[in-house]
Amino acid sequence: MSRPSIDLALRLDHRDVVAHVDGRALLIEAIRDLGARSARIGCLTGDCGACTVLLDGQPVKSCLVLAAAADGREVVTLEGSASAIAETVRRAFIAKKGFQCGYCTSGMILVAIDLLEAFATPTEADIRSAISGNLCRCTGYDDIVSAIADAAEQLSAKAATRESPEIF
Amino acid sequence: MIAHDFDYHAPRSLADALALLGQADAAVLGGGTWLVPNMTYGRQRPSAVVDIRRLGLDAIEIAGDIVVGAGVTYRQVLQSEALRAKLPLLAMMAGQVTGGPQIVGQATLGGSACYANPSSDVPACLVALDATLRLASRTGHREVKAADFYTGAFQTTRRPDEMLTHMVFAPPPGGAGCGYHKLKFSTGSWPIVTAACIAVAATDGGPRHRLAVGGANAVPVLLEIDGRDPDEAVAARLPSLISQEWSDEFAGAGYRRQVAPAIASRALRQARGAR
Repeated sequence: MSRPSIDLALRLDHRDVVAHVDGRALLIEAIRDLGARSARIGCLTGDCGACTVLLDGQPVKSCLVLAAAADGREVVTLEGSASAIAETVRRAFIAKKGFQCGYCTSGMILVAIDLLEAFATPTEADIRSAISGNLCRCTGYDDIVSAIADAAEQLSAKAATRESPEIF
Repeated sequence: MIAHDFDYHAPRSLADALALLGQADAAVLGGGTWLVPNMTYGRQRPSAVVDIRRLGLDAIEIAGDIVVGAGVTYRQVLQSEALRAKLPLLAMMAGQVTGGPQIVGQATLGGSACYANPSSDVPACLVALDATLRLASRTGHREVKAADFYTGAFQTTRRPDEMLTHMVFAPPPGGAGCGYHKLKFSTGSWPIVTAACIAVAATDGGPRHRLAVGGANAVPVLLEIDGRDPDEAVAARLPSLISQEWSDEFAGAGYRRQVAPAIASRALRQARGAR
């Protein structure tokens, strides 16, 4: 018996993709099959945040989205996230050891980027609120929070340097 | 992967959506935060899914009454300055929803209203605000008061062929205060008990309070209390109104009934102070 399949056209990490996918697929499953492997399959209940991607610019848990519902829309995963903020957050996670097993890391970094794009100078409470939909089963939250705070400081320092008048 | 076969529809008109809902066991898809995992885990097996994203039900209109589309997300509530000014209680509630920024941007008020999970934040808020729910079907439209909408845990008066399209609120009178308080055991946990309160200044005898308690009972519990010392009335009346106490893995039998008055009193106090 053939399963109902659907034609899915979406923009995935800045590439136009057309695919024939199982009509029962979740967005996380469809994009991983299309090569975007940074987003992870975790709980499939919307609790853990490992599958976080940006859908039309908004962070979403892609296990809660039917692949069919993403037709005609734009998906950005960590692999397609290439801004200066994204690069700074990535490096800060390495510098501050913001991971142990790494399973939650892509989701954590994506929500951190989303936070820093909206607020340049988040408080610790802002950071903890931003990652409140992402679980780290290694429980390395303090290092994750410290990595995001470090990225925010670096970005603020860079912005200050750019804004200061040239005196020489 | 969802185990069972189903047809996915994203109709562009309400009439088309209602025609689809009129057939078989179709399910309405809003933000997906309930329906999709329920389908993934086989708890719901609809033969058709009707996605409302192209129906324009994601608008907030303020012209006299406040009309919130069923597809409005918590983030839209928080981002609407006009709505925050007119219905601060709704914004307080949206600001305390758990699940992180993803859920705040994905989940819809209408979806939460219709799933009628006793532990959700939305149902009691709608009752406190005396919201009117607009339901549409192929055979006509009707309006139901939030207090009459909830019939049991996960049960409402919505028929399977009906869709919630809008929630309508009369603006609270000028000077009304509001409060929202909830008990939960960790940042990301479901609420154990929620309390939503509107306090309106009265000419004599102190403020009038409209208080709705969620999480404690299968359906929201509504109390209307007059006077300057409502705590005593809450302690005396609320436990007996919890006639179908909700209990789950977070809080066993008796717990919610016992803590509900304290949580309700905090919302009452906030509502009086915020005025």
